[in-house]
Amino acid sequence: MENHKIGVYVCNCGTNINKVVDCESVASHALDQPGVVCAKSYKYMCSNPGQEMIIKDIKEQGLNRVVISACSPRMHETTFRGALSKAGINPYFLEMANIREQCSWVHTDLRAATDKAMDLTRGAVRRVVHHEALEKRFVDMCPVTLVLGGGITGMSAALELAESGNLVYLVEKTGALGGNLARVDLTAPYLDSARDLIRERILRVKANPNITVFLDSRLDTLDGYVGNFKTMIQTPTGEKVPVDVGSVVVATGYKPFDPTPVKAFGYGTNPDVITSFEFEKMLRSGNIVTSKGKPPRYVTIIHCVGSRSEEFHPYCSRVCCMTALKYGQEVKSALPEAFVYDLYIDMHAFGKGCEDFYKQASTIRTIFLMYQKNTSPQLLPAGPKDDCGMLLRVDDRLCGEEVDIPTDLVVLMVGMEAREDSAEVARLVNISRDRDGWFIESHPKLDPVATTTEGVYIAGCCQSPKDINESVAQARAASARIMAKIAKGRLEVDAVFAEVTQDDCSGCRVCNDLCPYSAIEFDPDARKSSVISAKCKACGACVTACPSAAIKGRHFTDEQIFAQIEGVL
Amino acid sequence: MAVQADPRLVAELETYGAQDVLKCYHCGNCTAVCPFSKEPFIFPRKSMRYLQMGLREKLKSNLEPWLCYYCGECSEQCPREAEPGETMMSMRRWLTAQYDFTGISNLLYRSWYMELLGIVILAAATGLGFYAYGTAHGSIHVYDGANAFLPSSFIHAFDWTMGSILGTFLLINCLRMWWITMGRDPRVKVTPAMYARRAWLLLLHFFTQKRYSECDRKGPWRHHIVLMLSYVTMLVLIMGFLPLVQAGPKVNWWVHALGYAATAGLLVTVAMALLGRVRKTRTHYKHSHETDWIFLIMLFYVALTGILQHVCHRLGSPYAANVLYLAHLMGVVPMLVLEVPFSKWAHMCYRPLAMYFSHLQIDALEAQGRDVAETLPA
Amino acid sequence: MAGFEPKIVGFLCNWCSYTGADLAGTSRIKYAANLRVIRTMCSARIDPTFILKALLEGADGVLICGCHPGDCHYVEGNYKAMRRYPLLKRLLDDYGIENERVQLEWVSASEGKRFAEVVDNMTEQIKALGPCKVRTSLAFDMAER
Repeated sequence: MENHKIGVYVCNCGTNINKVVDCESVASHALDQPGVVCAKSYKYMCSNPGQEMIIKDIKEQGLNRVVISACSPRMHETTFRGALSKAGINPYFLEMANIREQCSWVHTDLRAATDKAMDLTRGAVRRVVHHEALEKRFVDMCPVTLVLGGGITGMSAALELAESGNLVYLVEKTGALGGNLARVDLTAPYLDSARDLIRERILRVKANPNITVFLDSRLDTLDGYVGNFKTMIQTPTGEKVPVDVGSVVVATGYKPFDPTPVKAFGYGTNPDVITSFEFEKMLRSGNIVTSKGKPPRYVTIIHCVGSRSEEFHPYCSRVCCMTALKYGQEVKSALPEAFVYDLYIDMHAFGKGCEDFYKQASTIRTIFLMYQKNTSPQLLPAGPKDDCGMLLRVDDRLCGEEVDIPTDLVVLMVGMEAREDSAEVARLVNISRDRDGWFIESHPKLDPVATTTEGVYIAGCCQSPKDINESVAQARAASARIMAKIAKGRLEVDAVFAEVTQDDCSGCRVCNDLCPYSAIEFDPDARKSSVISAKCKACGACVTACPSAAIKGRHFTDEQIFAQIEGVL
Repeated sequence: MAVQADPRLVAELETYGAQDVLKCYHCGNCTAVCPFSKEPFIFPRKSMRYLQMGLREKLKSNLEPWLCYYCGECSEQCPREAEPGETMMSMRRWLTAQYDFTGISNLLYRSWYMELLGIVILAAATGLGFYAYGTAHGSIHVYDGANAFLPSSFIHAFDWTMGSILGTFLLINCLRMWWITMGRDPRVKVTPAMYARRAWLLLLHFFTQKRYSECDRKGPWRHHIVLMLSYVTMLVLIMGFLPLVQAGPKVNWWVHALGYAATAGLLVTVAMALLGRVRKTRTHYKHSHETDWIFLIMLFYVALTGILQHVCHRLGSPYAANVLYLAHLMGVVPMLVLEVPFSKWAHMCYRPLAMYFSHLQIDALEAQGRDVAETLPA
Repeated sequence: MAGFEPKIVGFLCNWCSYTGADLAGTSRIKYAANLRVIRTMCSARIDPTFILKALLEGADGVLICGCHPGDCHYVEGNYKAMRRYPLLKRLLDDYGIENERVQLEWVSASEGKRFAEVVDNMTEQIKALGPCKVRTSLAFDMAER
């Protein structure tokens, strides 16, 4: 057995770890463990001096295993693997103990947290002894991209890629490009015409020979892995077109909330209560009228319908506040004599130009009312003396009075919700959804357009409600990520996968059907199974299932996990 | 009970000088900086809200505009430049019109042509009337004694007649103010004993403007109290001692010293106010309604002609004195007729009344064991 | 059992539950310090022998966490874990290991709060049970094999 020289590095993370976990004690405890030749506590291990300290120790003390007790490996495993490579040892000779996210940040008792940090570090020390040198794998990168969704986001991603000379397949479920934005009149806060924005995109998409558009089509299947996806696109004729792509951009957008279940407004029964999208239609036609065909004297706009509510969606839909202010502007310019009431819960005016836009709305005499979250203004019939079609009873929080406001037309600012097919799309491209049905990004701050499936990116409102500029920024960010991969030509993928020890395989084929990626093939002559490493995603299902224990899950071997169990206890 | 909103109220108040009311987004900075804003009279934010929402009756029964002395802090702190101080000022004008049962106030505030026309007609009538009387009963070359052009006994009688008529109008308007802000609200039960116990507040606030002196800035209060006391001194001298004041040409220092001091006080403070409004030196001078200009100009004119006719008389020039006296009366009559019951002058009564009523409301609610903050304003 | 602080070993899948536990951390949600987490790529990798090994080594409880059914990063790995679990429980029953000592819970990447609740609940249950007494009998039986 080789002589293990383990270095243990306990990160203080400024005070993030150190204020709850006694890092010095953890380091000195680690030093008592077999094989550990050096153990240090340091302010920031991920910093340059921190990494250089590790590299120096590896070189000078001949360390061949490294344990880092710090943040989650999801945060900095790549960083420290890089340090090991730099020091000239195999990057997989690293193990991290998570003493920040799963220790110092979640516990308050110093003693208990320090004990736990020691246990976790010990587990890592025991485990790292069994780590093996793994070699990098490379796969080819197919320079073609599949974009799902033909809205402003999908088109922007497609254009970015295509104009750099890459082939793009753009799949749109409906019969036309443009998405939800095609239903909008002007945009906030600069009152640009949405029609202009969309038309420019559509013309460029159609004119670009690198983009193949599939209308009335949908993704049928997606197999493979980053750089090498094999997909089927179902066309309106029922035909399935096979397409090989290297990356996928999911830009499937959102669906407007249907306010029918919100009883108080009588949407669906009262023709003068309409949704924001129905109002956009009026604005686009230039004809704002009530159900009686007359221009309204009073227009009431109600924010947060279906959003920020316990009953429907808890989240803020992000764009409705500014859209509502925009309606104020559009009504006033079309009907200067009309009064505009704007009922909000809170006014969310963040972002460039938005606070000014809000102020501008007051200047043009929009009358604002504040109603309480989880309550609903009530629609009442107008009295005989009133010069309006209806009254809306609001408990106005700003004056503390129940106020009846006259109204002829009520516009409900319906929020965004995940599309009905979002679960299906998530399953097809193997990404996750949050509790509201939005697709989950790899990291909310540092990796906002990537997903947990490498090669699959998300952009626009399918990830969460956002406005046009944010959606376009995400589309272009995703494209940039893809182009960086295309530029490399070959991709380095994780060296972690399963392998069958041929001598031990009994050829029972239990593993064959178990693999969700059909990565295990059976050689009928030799009566043995083997793993196609490029297809394997290292879930380890086959490793556990093999009755002969013939399959080894690299980097997650039985020995490694057993050793870790011993270590933590 | 729900109250109905009237989106047209803002436009109505704008004719009284309100500006930028809808810019307010209710951060409450104005109310936080106001040294007078205390439970249950939280202003100016709440009044701003009643106005924005068009809650006409609530705004009408609201005493808060009278509790504000317009130091201007609120407008300076406003992040939206919604001018809450000026809005309170315009509400005082609007309330004056609401208390006035004749509707004249409304007419004068909303149209300065009407106000000018009123002044011109009244001035002309006054001039012609007194000229006709003077030439019929005396000579324009005689100021004093028998054959005097405008004998003090006649002017004195005229003053009391006009004073009684205007006083009656004002009294009725004050009673209406009581009804609108106090009487008609059945929830606030003020007993006669309470009225009696707090009556001293009326005099206190009238003469000292104690509350104004509690503003963070003392300058405006000093200015205003000098102006007010000068005015009151002149009023007392004329209404009580006109024959003594007018007598001459010898200077009767016992009487005239007071008159000189009051005139000087008036001329200086009014000139300062006019200059301030021209230069917009303070926040409360930034916006001037037409009625502000007319009131100040007339007051200055009246004080100036008053002292000039007096001086001419003392210098032995009865003709000049009589002409100036006539000119003086042509200013005084329109000023008092228009201002006392219908316009700015009325605040001399409304303000102390509002102070008095606000204390009574608190007393009554406390006696009833009700949550003052929840109940007011009605 | 005053003062008894059990040790619980947690096997968490990388994509949902480990991420969920990290989220509890970034959200600073406090929970009991009794869990020692071991990360696997998928709950399907959690071999029954891992659980037996943990109990043998002195764990007072074992928590298995994976993605919610239908949400597995590897399509259906969690169903494999779900099907192994009752079989294992039957075996544990034979050794007299109380039902609460080994638990299977689904925790998604967005359920930091739920993860903390799961850990707190389980810690309370194990505290009520007291230390795991089967270590010796299990060790004996394993030796026999």
